[in-house]
Amino acid sequence: MPKRWEVYPGKSQVLCSGRCISAKNLSVFYLTLALIVISSCLFLAFDCRLLAVTLSPSVPVLAAVQFIFVLCCLLRTTFSDPGIIPRGTPDEAAWIESQLEGPQVDRDGNYRPPVRLKDVQINGRVFKLKYCFTCKLWRPPRSSHCSTCDNCVDRFDHHCPWVGNCVGRRNYRYFYLFLISLSVYCLYVMVFGIVNLVLLIMIFSLTLAPPTLTVLTILVAFFSIWSVVGLGGFHTMLICRETSTNEDIKGSFNQRRHPDLINPFDQGNGLANCCFVLFGPVTPSLLNFREDEIGLGSSISLVTNNGRNGASAAAASTAVTATPAVRYSNLTRNNNDAASNSVGHVNNSVQVISESLPAQLPGDGNDVIVKNGNGAPADGVISGGTDAVGVTSVADCIV
Amino acid sequence: MSSSKPLPNSSSATILPPANKAFVPRDYSHGTELRFSTELPAKLQGRIPEEVFTAVIGNINQLLIAAETGSASVYLESCFACLTGYLAYICMETQYEKPIPVNSTTKCLRSVSRLVEEYNRTVFGPRNLSMIDPSERGLRVIEIVLLRP
Repeated sequence: MPKRWEVYPGKSQVLCSGRCISAKNLSVFYLTLALIVISSCLFLAFDCRLLAVTLSPSVPVLAAVQFIFVLCCLLRTTFSDPGIIPRGTPDEAAWIESQLEGPQVDRDGNYRPPVRLKDVQINGRVFKLKYCFTCKLWRPPRSSHCSTCDNCVDRFDHHCPWVGNCVGRRNYRYFYLFLISLSVYCLYVMVFGIVNLVLLIMIFSLTLAPPTLTVLTILVAFFSIWSVVGLGGFHTMLICRETSTNEDIKGSFNQRRHPDLINPFDQGNGLANCCFVLFGPVTPSLLNFREDEIGLGSSISLVTNNGRNGASAAAASTAVTATPAVRYSNLTRNNNDAASNSVGHVNNSVQVISESLPAQLPGDGNDVIVKNGNGAPADGVISGGTDAVGVTSVADCIV
Repeated sequence: MSSSKPLPNSSSATILPPANKAFVPRDYSHGTELRFSTELPAKLQGRIPEEVFTAVIGNINQLLIAAETGSASVYLESCFACLTGYLAYICMETQYEKPIPVNSTTKCLRSVSRLVEEYNRTVFGPRNLSMIDPSERGLRVIEIVLLRP
């Protein structure tokens, strides 16, 4: 039984058995990490020796705290799901695409490609929703398809190679806090590096070896500040306006270009927008990588799998009874050719299976014995509903 | 039972939508909030009364919208987590093997799963229909399977 992360179709890299996801190419991220770690180590090892003694021991302590904070934010941005929208199932794709106008040739003989836009009114403003042919879904407003990672990402901001991941709804706050904390940290390192240099000159009057490493740290911090602080300031402005980088580039809410355009997502004032973006609720990851893949061609021993996961019986029954029909359709697909998406056959098989199922439950009708693929009772007895009739009750237990 | 007619002007690869499934799409008219359309799909006409269907989807929508509404506790939890460098999330309640921040949104999605299960037992099951938890479909659609034609 494959887990969902094993059958993930996009170009992102899935790590730690489905617990982390990042872009495939992390080389620039390693550079970022190396710059931060090496500069910090040099600062803590060399500069802080003098500063701790002459100024205060809190200087290296604060530096260490900031360093850890910056690393945490960076790693969270890199390895968390940015808000990837899982791809549509083949059935959904068939349903949506059957409603789209097909490619047509008009009277003049011009070819018109299939229409894949639909209009939707959001708070008085017309949005065009696009159908993503790769992900087989109508892209929610504010989402976009990242070509590097080959996913649709909710509230897509941009794909950041420095961080090695897309920045989207779920990890934008970590990205922003990384920028802000790194700006502060760079300033801190630069300022105290200069202080250390001044102290060295004052106390030792350059009788020691030239402090090349200190100068190196100061230079790295100085050049980083320009880009990091600039980007941090840009994103602060975006957050206050409740816009993403992608929308800013496209000019979706640009009032100068379209004076009648309003941002329907704007909460009214900058502070409210900041609070919502940075501290508001976070959608959990929709990828559910650690769960079993119960799509096409999967086996029907899901209940036994969940039972052995150590979850409580209640949770296991929830997992089983929550999606009985999914198992139903898997059964049909297993009976047919699982490799083909011939949805035309599905309905006939459902009919055949539902007619062959017994109307009454085995046992006293209060407990439902779950059968696995071999027909033998599986682990655990799941309590089903007693008021359901006929096929329904059996559908609850059919696995 | 026949599948739906192929599209006109389509190529030899005909798109046949599944005849035994009805899909309830997302409703974006109120923005990006989690909400599904309360319009009864054509395939369910006659299988379930419209008022019942609207009520069911409405209840699910209420739970989902509550998931993304920021309450004071959600903001405080986020602030606290931010101050600890998001290390506090590692200490929070774990689900199976993976540590996830179990905040209100996750709990709401779990209560949606329980509600869908309840509706399958009481409303859809007796009508030979089965609703699939939208979380299983990445919150894109609510899939309703027609168990009998």
